[in-house]
Amino acid sequence: MGAEDNVPLDDKARRMRDLLSSFYAPDPSTNNAPSNPGTLDAINTSSFDADQYMNLLMQKSNLDELLQRHVEMAAEIKNIDTDLQMLVYENYSKFISATDAIKRMKSNIVGMEANMEELLDKIMSVQSKSDGVNTSLFEKRENIEKLHRTRNLLRKVQFIYDLPTRLGKCIESEAYVDAVKFYTGALPIFKAYGDSSFQDCKQASEEAISIIVKNLQGKLFSDSESIQARAEAAVLLKQLDFPVDSLPVKLLEKLEQSLGDLQLKTDDIENASMEPNDPKLGKVPDSVHIMAHEGSIRGFAEAISAYRVIFPDSEGHLIKLAQDLVVKHFETVEQCVKGRISCANLLVVLRTIWTDVLLMDEVLSEAVLPEFSLEAAQNALKQHVASTFNYLLHDISDVLLRVNVSSKEAAEENPLQVALEASKKALLQGSMDVLLDFRQLLDDDLGLLVQLRDFVSDWVQEGFQDFFRALYDRFFLLSGRKSSSSQDQGLTAGAHGEKVLAGLVLVLSQLSVFIEQTAIPRITEEIAASFPGGGARGYENGPAFVPGVMCRIFRSAGERLLHHYINMRTQKVSTLLRKRFTTPNWVKHKEPREVHMSVDLFLQELKETASDVKQILPQGLERKHRRTDSNGSTASSRSNQLRDDKTNRSNTHRARSQLLETHLAKLFKQKVEIFTKVEHTQESVVTTTVKLCLKSLQEFVRLRTFNRSGFQQIQLDIQFLRTPLKETVEDEAALDFLLDEVIVAASERCLDPIPLEPPILDRLIQAKLAKWNEKNPITP
Amino acid sequence: MQGGSSGIGYGLKYQARCISDVKADTDHTSFITGTLSLREENEVHLIRLSSGGTELICEGLFSHPNEIWDLASCPFDQRIFSTVFSTGESYGAAIWQIPELYGQLNSPQLERIASLDAHVGKINCVLWWPSGRHDKLISIDDENLFLWALDCSKKAAQVQSKQSSGMLHYLSGGAWDPHDINAVATTCESSVQFWDLRTMKKTNAIEHAHIHNANYDMKTNHILVTAEDESGIHIWDTRKPKSPIQELPGHTHWTWAVTCNPEYDGLILSAGTDSTVNLWMAPTSVEDEAITESIAESPAQQADPLLNSYSDYEDSVYGLAWSSREPWIFASLSYDGRVVVESIKPFLSRK
Repeated sequence: MGAEDNVPLDDKARRMRDLLSSFYAPDPSTNNAPSNPGTLDAINTSSFDADQYMNLLMQKSNLDELLQRHVEMAAEIKNIDTDLQMLVYENYSKFISATDAIKRMKSNIVGMEANMEELLDKIMSVQSKSDGVNTSLFEKRENIEKLHRTRNLLRKVQFIYDLPTRLGKCIESEAYVDAVKFYTGALPIFKAYGDSSFQDCKQASEEAISIIVKNLQGKLFSDSESIQARAEAAVLLKQLDFPVDSLPVKLLEKLEQSLGDLQLKTDDIENASMEPNDPKLGKVPDSVHIMAHEGSIRGFAEAISAYRVIFPDSEGHLIKLAQDLVVKHFETVEQCVKGRISCANLLVVLRTIWTDVLLMDEVLSEAVLPEFSLEAAQNALKQHVASTFNYLLHDISDVLLRVNVSSKEAAEENPLQVALEASKKALLQGSMDVLLDFRQLLDDDLGLLVQLRDFVSDWVQEGFQDFFRALYDRFFLLSGRKSSSSQDQGLTAGAHGEKVLAGLVLVLSQLSVFIEQTAIPRITEEIAASFPGGGARGYENGPAFVPGVMCRIFRSAGERLLHHYINMRTQKVSTLLRKRFTTPNWVKHKEPREVHMSVDLFLQELKETASDVKQILPQGLERKHRRTDSNGSTASSRSNQLRDDKTNRSNTHRARSQLLETHLAKLFKQKVEIFTKVEHTQESVVTTTVKLCLKSLQEFVRLRTFNRSGFQQIQLDIQFLRTPLKETVEDEAALDFLLDEVIVAASERCLDPIPLEPPILDRLIQAKLAKWNEKNPITP
Repeated sequence: MQGGSSGIGYGLKYQARCISDVKADTDHTSFITGTLSLREENEVHLIRLSSGGTELICEGLFSHPNEIWDLASCPFDQRIFSTVFSTGESYGAAIWQIPELYGQLNSPQLERIASLDAHVGKINCVLWWPSGRHDKLISIDDENLFLWALDCSKKAAQVQSKQSSGMLHYLSGGAWDPHDINAVATTCESSVQFWDLRTMKKTNAIEHAHIHNANYDMKTNHILVTAEDESGIHIWDTRKPKSPIQELPGHTHWTWAVTCNPEYDGLILSAGTDSTVNLWMAPTSVEDEAITESIAESPAQQADPLLNSYSDYEDSVYGLAWSSREPWIFASLSYDGRVVVESIKPFLSRK
C-alpha cells in the first residue's frame, strides 16, 4: 500500500510545480499544445472541457468506478485548495519584506550631493596654482639646456684637437685598441668638417692612424707575435676599414706554403723509416723527425684556430687546406704501400698522421677529418694487405723460378730438393711473417686502427683466400699447363722463354701437397688464434677464408701437377720411342747383334726421373698391387686363345710352343691392372712412368709390321729391360705383364715370328750388361 | 662409373682396328668393320642391330685380301665402302662394293670398284664427305693429300689433284669438314693443317703436338675436336687456332680416337689405349669460353664433363662410331676384335 501511496503524492507535487511554472511562464498557451480533449487525462490541460470530460467519464465507467472517481476528485480538489492557500501566504510575506528594504534605501541617500560639490571646488584651485608655477620657471630651464649643449660641443672640439697627440701617446704605449676607438669616434666629425675647420687636425690624426695601421699589419704578419695579439690586430684593422679581404688570401697562401713544408717533412719520415738496413742510425732521426713534425703540426693547428677567429668566413678554405694535408699524407702512405713497407713502419706513419688529424680536429671539427682519414686509412690498409700478399706471391715464384736457373747451372747437388725446401720455407715463413705483421696492426691501440680492426682481420682472411687462389693459378702458369692469357704477361714470358722443366712441375706438385697438408692448417690455426673473425662481413657471404675449399683445390692441384710431371716424362720417352719405331724399315730389319741404344736412352730417362723423385718425394710403404685403385684395366687377348692357337699352328713348332707358353702363362696370371692411382711417393711415380712408357711401347709395336729379325730385336730389347726395370719398379707383376705384352704384340705383328734362341739371347744380354756396368759403375 | 655389361657384344675372329657407321642404310642401324690380321684371311663384317636393339646380327661376311687399317662407309650408298690395307710390306687403298646377291651366295666376293693406287708410302685413311652425295674422295698417305674423282657407274677413280704436305710433316690422318665441301683438316706430328681443296693450298694450322685423331662437330660450324697422346682431348674453334676452347682430360694412356655426336650438341666420345671409352659432355659454343676459363677458379662448382666411362674392354679401343640413324647408339671396337654397341640414353636425360 505504501508504494501506491507514493505515486499519487509524487503526482501531486509535480502538478503543483507545473501549475506554478505555467503561472509565471510568458505564454501559458504554448505549454499545453499536444493536449487531447478526448481523453480522461486532459483534465490538467488548459483546453479542459468539463462537460466533455463528464460525458466521457459517464460513457466509459460503471457505477463503482464513477463513485470511486468521485471520491478521488473530491479529495484532489480539497488538496488543491490548500495548496493554493499556501502559495498565496508565501508570496505575500516576501512582498512585505521587499517593501521594507526599499523604504530604508530612500532615507540613506539624502545629503550626499553637498559633499560632492565641495570636492570639485578644491580640485579647481589646485590646478590653477600649478599652472602659475610652470610658466614662471620655463625661461630659466631653456637657458640651462642651451648652456649644457654648448659645453658638450666644446668638449668634443677639445677632443678632436687633442686627438693627434692622444693617438701619438697611444702609439707610444701600443694601446692600439684605445687609439682605434678614439679615431673611429672622431671619424664622423672628420667626415663632416674635415675639409674646413679641422683640416690640420684631421691630417695629423690620419697620419697617426696610418702609423697604427702599419704597425698593426706588421703585427698581423709577424710570426713572433702571439696569435691573440694577431687576432686583435686583425679585428682592429677591420674596424679601421682596412681592406681585410686581401688579408686572408695572403695569410692562407702563407699557410699553404707552410703546408708544403709539412708535406716534405712527412716524406722525410718515410725516408727515414724506409731505411731498415741501419736500424741504429735510422731510429734516431726518425724520432727527431717525428718531434719536429709534431711541433710544426701543432703550429699549423694553432694557426688554423687563430684564422678561424680572425676570419670567420675563411672556414671553407681552411677545411680544404686541412683535408688537402690529410690527402697528401695518405698519398705518401700509398706510395709507401706500393713499395715494400713493413707493418711496423706503416704503423709509425699512420700514428703520425692520426696525431696530426686529432690535433687538427680539435681546432677544425667541421672538416670531419677523423672520418675522412678513416676512409683513407681503410683504403690504404686494404692496399697494403693486397700488396703484401702480392709480394709474398712474387717471393715464392721467384724462389721457384730459381730452380730453372740453378738446375741449368747444375752447381748444386740436389737442386729440386733445395728448391722445394726453399719454397716451402718461403711460403710458410712468408705467411707467418705476414700474419705477425698484420697482428701488429690489430694489437695497436691507435684510434684509427681500433675502428678498422674488424675490417683488417677480414681483409687478411680475404687476402689469404685470394693469395692461395693466385698461387694456384701461378703454379699452373709455371708448369706451362695453362695458356698465358692471364695478366702476368711479364712473368709468363720469362717462364715460357725456356721450356718448363719437369723437375719444377714435380716441385710444384709437392709444394701443393705441402700447402694442403701443412701450410693451410697452420695458417688457419694462426688466423683463428689472432684474428677473431671480423663481423664486418655479412653472414650471407660466409667467412672470408675457407680452408676446406683451399685444401681441396690444392689437393687436386697436387694430383694434376703430379700427373703433368709424369706426362712430361713419358712424353719424352714417347718421342724417343716414336723415332725408334718410325725410322728403321722393320720389314727389312737385320739380325739383332746387340741391344739397341734406344734402350739406354730410355733407361737414362728413367734414371733422371728417379733422381728427381728421390730428391723430393717421400718413400712409399712397401706394398703390393691394389686392385681397388685401378681406373682402367688391360689384359689382352684372353678371349682369343683359340685364335692364337691357330695362329701358332701355322708356324714352326718351336715358335708355337713358346708363344703358346706365354699366352697360357698369361691366362693363368691374375688379370693385372696397369693404370693405378698415382700417389705422392717415389715408387708410385716411377712405376707409373715405367708403366705408361711400356704401354706406349706396346702401342708403337702394334702399329708396325716386323720381319723375323725385327721381332727378335724387340725381343732382345725387352728381355734386357727386364732386369734394370725390376730394380726400380714396385709392381713387378704389372711390369712382367707389360713386357710380355710388348713381345706378344711384336709377335702378332710379325710376318715370321720365330724368337731368338735362349742361349743367343742370354749371350747378347750379358754382353750388354757388361757394357752397361762398365759405363755406369753404380747402377741404381 | 663402371660400364657394366649394358653393351651388346659381337666378336670378330681376329684383331681389328676400324669400324664405321653405314650412314646410307636408313632402314637399319648397321656398322661395317674389318679385321687386322697379318697372316690370316681377313674379313669384312657387316653388322646390323636387331630391331629390338638387343642383338647384333651379322648381315654379311666378306673376305678381304689384306689386313685392313682403315675402313669408311660411303655416306650415300650403303653398299660401297673404302678400305686401306697393308700386305705387310706395302699399302693400298680401294673402293669396294658389296655384291647385290650376297644373301644367297655362300662366300660372296667383294667387288672392287676402284683402286686408289697412286700412293707410294703408307696410306693412312680414305675420307668421304660426311654430309651427303659428293663424287670426290680424299686419301691421305704419309706425305701427300690426294683428291679423287670417283665414278661409281664407270667403276673408276681418277686423281684430280695432289698436294705434298711439305718436308718433315708426316701426315697421320684427317677429317673432312661437314659444313664446307672444300675444307679438309689433316693431322701430323706437330700440327693440324687445314686445306682448301679448290686450290690445294694450306689455309691455316693449329700448332699442337701428337694429335692422333681429329673430328669435326657435325652440328656446329668451325668446331674441331682433337685427340692427343698425353694431353687428352682439345676442342678448337678453327678461327682461333692459338688456343683451344676447352680441354678435357682424355684417357690414362693415349687418347686414340674421338668423335662428335651427329645429333646432340657437345656430346663427345673418345676411345683410348687404356681400354676405356669415355663419354663427355662439353658445350662447344664459343660463349662458354668464359666458363672454361673459370674452371681453375672453382673446380667444385664446375660439373664434371665426363658423363660416363665404359671400361668393359679387354684391350685398347681403336674403333669408334656413332650411329647416324639412332644417334644415341655407338659402336666401339677393341683390338681383340670385340665390337660393343652401347646406348647412351641413360645419360641424355642428365643434360
